[in-house]
Amino acid sequence: MPRQTLDREIHHLQDEVLLLGSMVEQAMLNAIDALKRRDFSAARKVYRDDDVINEKRYAIENRVLILFATQQPIAHDLRFLAAILEVITELERMGDYAKGIAKINILIGEDDTVIPIHEITRMGDLAVGMLHRALSAFINEDVNMAYRIPQEDDLVDELFKQILHKNVTNMIENPGIIDHSNYVMWIVHNIERMADRVTNICERTIFIATGELLEIDVSDDEWLEEDEF
Amino acid sequence: MNLSKPDILTLSPSSSPSKRNKPIQTSISLGEKAAQLPLDALPVKMAAVDLSVYYGKFRALNKISINIPENRITALIGPSGCGKSTLLRSFNRMNDLVKGSHITGQVLLNGKNIYGLDVDVVDIRQRVGMVFQRPNPFPMNIYDNVAYGPRLYGIRNKNVLDEIVEQSLRQAAVWKDLKDKLEQSALALSGGQQQRLCIARALAVEPAVILMDEPASALDPIATLMIEDLMEELKENYTIVIVTHNMQQAARVSDFTAFLMIDEDRSGTLVEMDATDQIFTNPKCQQTEDYVTGRFG
Repeated sequence: MPRQTLDREIHHLQDEVLLLGSMVEQAMLNAIDALKRRDFSAARKVYRDDDVINEKRYAIENRVLILFATQQPIAHDLRFLAAILEVITELERMGDYAKGIAKINILIGEDDTVIPIHEITRMGDLAVGMLHRALSAFINEDVNMAYRIPQEDDLVDELFKQILHKNVTNMIENPGIIDHSNYVMWIVHNIERMADRVTNICERTIFIATGELLEIDVSDDEWLEEDEF
Repeated sequence: MNLSKPDILTLSPSSSPSKRNKPIQTSISLGEKAAQLPLDALPVKMAAVDLSVYYGKFRALNKISINIPENRITALIGPSGCGKSTLLRSFNRMNDLVKGSHITGQVLLNGKNIYGLDVDVVDIRQRVGMVFQRPNPFPMNIYDNVAYGPRLYGIRNKNVLDEIVEQSLRQAAVWKDLKDKLEQSALALSGGQQQRLCIARALAVEPAVILMDEPASALDPIATLMIEDLMEELKENYTIVIVTHNMQQAARVSDFTAFLMIDEDRSGTLVEMDATDQIFTNPKCQQTEDYVTGRFG
């Protein structure tokens, strides 16, 4: 079977994307765990280790561009390599979200802040679980799974809304905590965005398998219906 | 959900420009390949040192200095007439066969000048084999084609020859196809099989270096890719230099690429040699960039 070099490189890149994904999953879990334990040393480690994620992303991007230039990938190979460029961008950004949470942990410092850690942990677990399965679907080109995973975003969004409302109520009742409440908003926003970006990975899985570029829209658009145009 | 978010929340604390004290945290230069050692870190199998090749008064190559790394594939690319085939042929003194040709400078094999006075040309051509553009099997059966070289070097023992023939055909990835028809004429094979037979014939005399002059240009795309995969396997044991007009082929198969051009005196000169990944993604010289992107001329 010809094209041994290209096939070997593609398999290697699949492994590398999974590795990058697991680094990002771990970064998010560690960031939330450090927040839960108010462990600033662990938070600093997550913050610093984001560099390793960035380096891995650039290394993968570099390999993909070299393969474009030297191996002339066509059809499925082309779609897969093009999709990788998108997926690693999403992963790297998710790594930034974990880094952001680690930073907020340190910024809050020893101040007495009410952090809805139970909900945040739940949100984080959901988002990381979605990412894990999305990457598995990506590698296996499982289109059905790629369509299903974005539906789970509703749960993350629901938790996000709950925390948001509670936070706003707290701020109205006690304007002195606005700064810290803002930090909490950042944290949950980062996790919510991570889950949103999982959808983009699923879209690329469908692209590889079918060649179709599409947007999976699972957003709640009731607000749109109410408008009169 | 995306549309309902206040703008302030879209700002990730980690990306706030005003707080960023390390503007570039991670950088990697395009074309860098961690797995590929730089050229100067690899053992040199062959080298041209200030090599000029003349055909009569015409200088075809002008002071080329180039290192050919061991157990790697080096591609020579460049426009027609740039001297890449002349350079290739100087690596096993094939140019000696052209009347009026002579050289200045040196060509080294394992550090020894192959144009030295004490050198046996037949010995050089055994150690530096060649595969040509058109498959050129001898008009004899498959077995005799492969056994031709070893017989020339005095091997007569049938068992030894059998072993060499099988080993060579295996290395050329054509044993399975041909083992049951060793007595058939080589001329009856397909072009791709003929070319792999010719590679087997070159391997049969146990060369250290294999020179390939457009080895796939007469083959169909699938046979071409099979030859390319074969080259990848062969480089474990051999040093390979390939001349190709097909830039995509150079990009696919080689570890290093040398780009040659014609200078103002119409002599071939070396513009740039670097890792193939570098040449095809981020070459150092503008002339190379123009050539590999098809903007040359």
